[in-house]
Amino acid sequence: MTPVEHAPTPRRRQDREPRPEPDAVVLHDVWRAWGGAVAVAGLTFALRPGEIAACVGVTGAGKSTALRMVMGAIVPDRGEIRVLGHDPARDFGLLRGKIAPVFQTDRLLPWRTALENAALGLEILGVPAEERRRRAQAWLERLGLTAAASKLPHELSGGMRQRVSLARAFALDPQLLLLDEAFSHLDEVTAAGVRADFLSLARPLGTTCLLVTHSVAEAVEVADRILVFGRPARVVAEVRVAAPVRADPVAQDRVRREVLAHLQGAMAG
Amino acid sequence: MLGTLRGWRETLLVVAALLATLQLGSLVVPKYILPDVPAIAQAAREVLVSDARDIAATLLRLTEGVAAAFALGSLLGVAMGAVPAVARYARPLLNIMMAVPALNWILFAILWFGSAEVRVFFVVVVISLPFYALNVYEGIRGVPADLVEAVEAFRPTRTQAIRILLLPHTVPYIIMTTRSVLGYAIRITIFAELIGTAIGIGARLNAAQSQFRIDAVFAWTAVLVVINFVLQAAVERLDRRLLRWRPEQALR
Repeated sequence: MTPVEHAPTPRRRQDREPRPEPDAVVLHDVWRAWGGAVAVAGLTFALRPGEIAACVGVTGAGKSTALRMVMGAIVPDRGEIRVLGHDPARDFGLLRGKIAPVFQTDRLLPWRTALENAALGLEILGVPAEERRRRAQAWLERLGLTAAASKLPHELSGGMRQRVSLARAFALDPQLLLLDEAFSHLDEVTAAGVRADFLSLARPLGTTCLLVTHSVAEAVEVADRILVFGRPARVVAEVRVAAPVRADPVAQDRVRREVLAHLQGAMAG
Repeated sequence: MLGTLRGWRETLLVVAALLATLQLGSLVVPKYILPDVPAIAQAAREVLVSDARDIAATLLRLTEGVAAAFALGSLLGVAMGAVPAVARYARPLLNIMMAVPALNWILFAILWFGSAEVRVFFVVVVISLPFYALNVYEGIRGVPADLVEAVEAFRPTRTQAIRILLLPHTVPYIIMTTRSVLGYAIRITIFAELIGTAIGIGARLNAAQSQFRIDAVFAWTAVLVVINFVLQAAVERLDRRLLRWRPEQALR
C-alpha cells in the first residue's frame, strides 16, 4: 500500500480514552414491517467504536432493511436507533460526513469520472474543489486506481468500480462505514482482493464498520463480531471472532460451522 | 443525416436523385410550376446575397425562442420533479397547451401582440416549452432509485441533490428534446413569419408566393433544409460531447 500524504490520521482503537466511549451504533427493540409482513422484529444490538461487525442471515432476513434504518433511509415503526449519538433519519444533516455507504453494486454516477465519483462525499461536505480532488486522488492511489482517475465508470471493470466506491466512502474519513453485501456482486478472486483492500484500510484507521452479508465465510474473515439474524430480523446469536482466529484457516472453519449451526437453528426455530 | 456523417453517401444520392427528378420534371411541365435546377440555383444565390438579413432574423428568432423554451421548460420540469404538487397541476396545463394547434397560437399572437418579434417569440416558446418541461420531468422521474439512495446516503441538501444527481441525469432528455423540437420550431417560426412579420425567411416566402416566384420558393426550401441539417449536426456534436459517459449499445 502506498503511503499517502493526505490520508487522514488513523484513529487507533488502542488509543481510547480511559472513560469508555459511547457505542457508535445502538439499536433497541427496533421493529419494521412492509405491507403487513414483519421484516425486523425487536432488533437489538450495539457496536463499539472501531468495531467491525457483520450481520449474517438468510435471504429475506431483513438484513438490508436493518442497515438502511441505520443509514437513516428507512424509519422504524417502533424502537430506537442511535448512530454516533443521533437519530439517523431525523438528524439527517448532523451526520453528514460521518457515515459512508458501500453498496452491493458500485452505484457510481455514470457521468462522473472515477475521481469525481470518489470526491462525491467531500463535495457534499463542502470541501473546496482543489482539496477534495487531492484527497480523492490519494484514496484512488491507495486502492491502486491511479491510472483510472479520469476514466468513466463504464470504462472500468467491476472490481475497479467497487474500489472506486470504497475510495468514495473512505475519502470522507467516516466514523461509521456501512457495507451492504459490498463484495457479493464480484467473482470470488476479485471479491477477495477488494475485501483485502477494505480490511487493510478499515483496520488501521479504526473505522467502525457494519457489514451485511449472506456469506458466513466472508463474515468470519472480516468481522470482530458476527450477529446472526433470524427471519424476521432479530439477533439470535452473537459470535466473537478473535484476531488469531481470522489468521487461522482451521479456527476460521470452526467458527464458520458454529455460525452456520446458529443460522440453521434460527431457521428451524 | 449529413451532420452525423453517417449515411452521407446515401443522402447525397437522394439529393442527386431529387435534383434529377426536378430537372426532368421541368422539361415536361411549365416553368412556373417546376423551375429547372439552374434557375433554382440562381435564385438561391440571389436570396443568400440579398436576403442574408432575413436569414439572420429567422435564425435569431429561432435561437431566442428555443433557448427561452429550454430554460423555462427545464426549470418547470425540475420543479415538477422536485415538488409533486407542481407536477399535479403543471401536467394537465402542459397537455392542454400541447393540444392547442400551432395555427391557433399564431392567431392569438397576432391578436395579442403588436410587435412581430414578440409574436414569433411567443409562438415558438409556447409550442416548444411543454416538450422540454415534460421530458425533463420524465428524466427526473427516471433517475434510478439505487443512485438516489447512494447519493442520499451521503446526506446532501436538496439543492446539492438536484445539482449532483437530477440535473446531470436530465441532460440526455434535454438533448433528445432539442433534437426533436428544432425541426418543429423552424417550421413554426417560418409559419409565424409568413403570417405576422415583414422580415425573415417566412416573410420572404410570402413575398415569393405573391410574386409567383416558384424558383425563389424552391431556393428558400433548400436553404431551410440546409439550416435544419446544420442545426441537427450541431446537436449531434453536443450529444457526443456531453453524453460520452453513455456506452454505445447496439443489438448484433
